Amino acid sequence: MNKTGADGLSLVRPFIRAVERADSADGLQKAAENLAGALAALAKADHQGEPHCDPETWDVIDCLLQVLGFNNPGAAVAAVDGLIAIGPPAVEPLLGSLDGHNYGARAWAVRALAGIGDPRGLAVLEEALAEDIGPSVRRAAARGLGQLRLESLPQAERSAIWQRCLTGLLAGAADPEWVVRYAVVVSLEQLLPHPLAAEQRVRGLAQLEGLAAPASEDTLVVRLRARLALDNLSG
Amino acid sequence: MAGTADLDSAMATAGEPISEEEALQRLRQSEDQSHQYYAAWWLGRMRSRHPETVPLLQAALRRRQPRAVSSGVEENAVARNAARALGKLGDPQAIPDLLATLEDEDDGLREAAARALGELRAREAVSPICARLASDQAGQPLPNSLRLREPCEALIEALGDIGVASPDVVDAIQPFAIHERPLIRSAAARALFQLTQDPRWGHSLIELLEHPQLQVRRSALMDLGAVGWRPALEPIRDTLAENSLKLIALRGLVERGQAPPDTETVLRAMDDLL
Repeated sequence: MNKTGADGLSLVRPFIRAVERADSADGLQKAAENLAGALAALAKADHQGEPHCDPETWDVIDCLLQVLGFNNPGAAVAAVDGLIAIGPPAVEPLLGSLDGHNYGARAWAVRALAGIGDPRGLAVLEEALAEDIGPSVRRAAARGLGQLRLESLPQAERSAIWQRCLTGLLAGAADPEWVVRYAVVVSLEQLLPHPLAAEQRVRGLAQLEGLAAPASEDTLVVRLRARLALDNLSG
Repeated sequence: MAGTADLDSAMATAGEPISEEEALQRLRQSEDQSHQYYAAWWLGRMRSRHPETVPLLQAALRRRQPRAVSSGVEENAVARNAARALGKLGDPQAIPDLLATLEDEDDGLREAAARALGELRAREAVSPICARLASDQAGQPLPNSLRLREPCEALIEALGDIGVASPDVVDAIQPFAIHERPLIRSAAARALFQLTQDPRWGHSLIELLEHPQLQVRRSALMDLGAVGWRPALEPIRDTLAENSLKLIALRGLVERGQAPPDTETVLRAMDDLL
């Protein structure tokens, strides 16, 4: 949403109104899906650089954040997709929305932050992977720690962030839920090719070896995925 | 979305952390049934290997009684959790008590016993389960209730898990493949696929993935995971349901299924759902 974004966003207006007017769970889900679809199309059409943050964008973000709190999973999935399509401009509002007491909304916000991959979400992802009670939230947080987008940061800062991601993922490898360990494997595979200190890289590879071994990992699908990651990293 | 896996894990995390010794003690006493209830759940969930665990759970199972209408934790609630735990613990010693429970008047207990016998792959259970399914009006609702006369879903799934593929067993399940309730049809298709490997039952499950009720789509996802039929990969991915359940289904395709598609293709589809 660059300079053409304002026009684009006025095209989104009717979709926002539809979300605001929805009077049933199904209606809300449909309206939120339509809104997310429109945003994704816009993001695809003019995704060059940082989206321009005009007042219309804030309206959209605000609308999507509200949808996260409606206890309508179908609509929340669509709203998360919409927030990810908006990208970095949604990060501050998402972080600001985390203080509420609505656990469901918070869980969806963590997922949106994981999908956007902005380093400002790092601390939230670290905390969610370490402490959140919902396995699906820890799963999303683990995945998020493997896919932060750091291209715009100086090299030194990038290294420090990757280091933190690695530390979080190594701890997450001991999660009791297989699906969280699976997400840790996928993220380690994505993280380890980045420039890391040699000893850190070795620790990451050793963790993958552990997750690939029947003696230390009891879930077959996790072992198979860890083996695939090791093959890809050595290939 | 908080699915049952989330809930189960929430109970494990939020419930007070107790030691195995404490759990055994709580099951041994009989003044506080809510303590017994939690202890039975805990011992199954934590896969307790203590030599007293199975005998204590068996004793809890034998303490069942005619179903009390009063709500809250009662003897049969403890017995239900004991049956579930015995299924998880995998000790064939529990089979005779579970077979006896299969004849209990409480259909909720029969359901828990059937599931446990399925998990234990108890071949002794095949003929009593088939007899229950063939009994008069087994698939009809109880008067003034949504429950069926027999816990058909659990009975059918147990037959699929136990895996005795004789014509008698297939004949006992087949009528339920056209039952009016989609969840029963899903269970029947799952079991018939497990027993016959006939792809038509896989296609029946894929059709249920498009059912308008979320509960039915979720059930079909779990059933496709249980049979591990890999041609279902794309329909599973495209189902309108939470990713947590799709991931569980795809795990089943990886662990139980055969190419095509190859394992890496299924793993990549899982990666995209994280």
